[in-house]
Amino acid sequence: MFLTRSEYDRGVNTFSPEGRLFQVEYAIEAIKLGSTAIGIATSEGVILAVEKRITSPLMEPTTVEKIVEVDKHIGCAVSGLMADSRTMIDRARVECQNHWFIYNEKMTVESAAQAVSNLAIQFGDSDDDGSAMSRPFGVAILFAGIDEKGPQLFHMDPSGTFVQFDAKAIGSGSEGAQQSLQEVYHKSMTLKEATTSALTILKQVMEEKLNETNIEVMTMTPGAFFHMFSKAELQKIVENLPNAREEAPKPRSDSGATPSIKPAAISSG
Amino acid sequence: MAMLNEYSGRNLPDYEFEAVKKVHFSPYADNGGSVIALAGDDFCIIAGDTRLSSGFSIYTREQQKLFPLSNTTVLGCSGCWCDTLTLTRILSARMQMYKHEHHKEMSTPAAAQMLSTMLYYKRFFPYYVSNMLAGLDENGKGCVYSYDPIGHCERSNYRAGGSAGALLQPLLDNQVGYKNQEGVDPTPLSQERALSIIKDVFISAAERDIYTGDGISIKIITKDGVKNESFSLRKD
Amino acid sequence: MSILAYNGGAIIAMKGKNCVAIAADRRFGIQGQTISCDFQKIFEMGPHLYLGLPGLSTDTQTVMERLRFRLNLYELKENRRIHPKTFSSMISNLLYEKRFGPYFVEPVVAGLDPVTFEPYICNMDLLGCLNVPVDFVVGGTCSEQLYGMCEALYEADLEPNDLFETISQALVNACDRDAMSGWGAIVHVIEKDKVTTRTVKTRMD
Repeated sequence: MFLTRSEYDRGVNTFSPEGRLFQVEYAIEAIKLGSTAIGIATSEGVILAVEKRITSPLMEPTTVEKIVEVDKHIGCAVSGLMADSRTMIDRARVECQNHWFIYNEKMTVESAAQAVSNLAIQFGDSDDDGSAMSRPFGVAILFAGIDEKGPQLFHMDPSGTFVQFDAKAIGSGSEGAQQSLQEVYHKSMTLKEATTSALTILKQVMEEKLNETNIEVMTMTPGAFFHMFSKAELQKIVENLPNAREEAPKPRSDSGATPSIKPAAISSG
Repeated sequence: MAMLNEYSGRNLPDYEFEAVKKVHFSPYADNGGSVIALAGDDFCIIAGDTRLSSGFSIYTREQQKLFPLSNTTVLGCSGCWCDTLTLTRILSARMQMYKHEHHKEMSTPAAAQMLSTMLYYKRFFPYYVSNMLAGLDENGKGCVYSYDPIGHCERSNYRAGGSAGALLQPLLDNQVGYKNQEGVDPTPLSQERALSIIKDVFISAAERDIYTGDGISIKIITKDGVKNESFSLRKD
Repeated sequence: MSILAYNGGAIIAMKGKNCVAIAADRRFGIQGQTISCDFQKIFEMGPHLYLGLPGLSTDTQTVMERLRFRLNLYELKENRRIHPKTFSSMISNLLYEKRFGPYFVEPVVAGLDPVTFEPYICNMDLLGCLNVPVDFVVGGTCSEQLYGMCEALYEADLEPNDLFETISQALVNACDRDAMSGWGAIVHVIEKDKVTTRTVKTRMD
């Protein structure tokens, strides 16, 4: 099995005989190592919540930035290779400003996702400028934004595929979190409910104990647009989280169930 | 030179023959034309004359100068006709691209901003066109955007532009903007009144401006779409 | 820029029913800079005869003085009031004498026939080419705007009061779209037995 794959898993511009691009699939795998991020879209607005892995007590937690403002009306949560995410967020910001410059209107969330997607698939050796990436970006992004269609949440993976979601989890805890989201999500959810649910689920899937320094939470509402929760606000919410499943198992992709898209089951024939 | 001197009767000095003739070329032409746009609460009317001319000659008496860009946006152009043709082609291509990229029709304010940037991108070799964009904004209210050739853009409720712009603008100030009128309360512009003002002012313009005449074509933009009308002017 | 537009200004004259009106702005400026708002561009040349001189201000005054000189001589010699038509020829003549070094003014004449009180208006270019229309004449830096206003607002056989309203609206609205004209306006309505002079309030910017 391994041998078969090794022939086709080097170049990003070579399909395997089964019609797969292994480097892209590996990149999708790579984001399963990243920290968990959860997004929920409600009719009142969108909420993003992420965990920050504080690997050392000497680390300054505020410098780990996983939720960023792209424009007043679009925020992003990222998981995966943070360095790669900077490039993509930069592109999103540039595209949003450029759209405003040319059309004097807010870029739609979908268009912003499309613009970043265009960057995401530009890997491989291109003929023109040498600025293209030699490999896929190892990043998954949640786009939370508000435009004329209302509050929206988009998810994009390293292949550049982007899909709209009501609720979505990415990163290491995404398997379990997604399952939990499916259980708790309903169309008439308030933003407050969504915030509580997001953090409850995050708490379940996080390895460390959730507190106000190892998470980031942002809301995107029609009134205030991008709002990043302050430490005090976080503290208040964390204290009020239901304590029910404190000792519940913490599913991680490496320990939990088999991922649905695992490019492993290929026999060497 | 020797040959020339042989054949000509007199001995002319060489430089008379060798003088370099200066050939002049201007990349621009002024093809005249006037455009007027009036905005109401739920409609917008734009009208342009149909004469295309150059100097003292008339190329055609039936040239449309209004270009529908979408269901709610119409562009009126006057000035250098070749630039108008290029600009409007690029514009409609950009409108189409926007529709495909963003899955929606471009709004009039968005088209207005785009036109401004497009014009400014040719800051040092401008499209010599006097543009006027008429349509409905996001709230369905009539809006008029007027431009200079290098992209200065202004939103207003009424505007006259083109070769008879100077003749017509003060008239619109007075009749539509109620400027310098005392004791009249400004009533919102009705479609009928807008239409009759447009006809009146074009008749006036055709009296004094040789680049304006022959006829006008009118486009009435409402939420139900664009309606066409026409009206004839003096043809001399 | 033409020297005719150095100081700026606008003048307009209209025929009414047994009356004529002549109006001008009151700005005196040097290109963009306004110097005063009480400059005289219309001159009373007789009880029923008014002369407007838009253009270069120095020439406005010189031409007016030279015309007054010739007009006085004429009236002393003839011992009667001059006909506006004759006066116009006099202006035309004076201007054409300076064919190759012209005065930069484009005169506008409005008056009534001293005998029949028939309305008369005319204007001319800076070389003295006469134009005698039946309705209105304009001159100055915003003549385009004035033409647009007049073509739409003018009606034949207006009574003095209506004529005043029409000419004022035409002048003021035209001046508002010209940076070189405006800053106050003056209107004279000339009738057989009276001349009504009014100053008009305008925007001062």
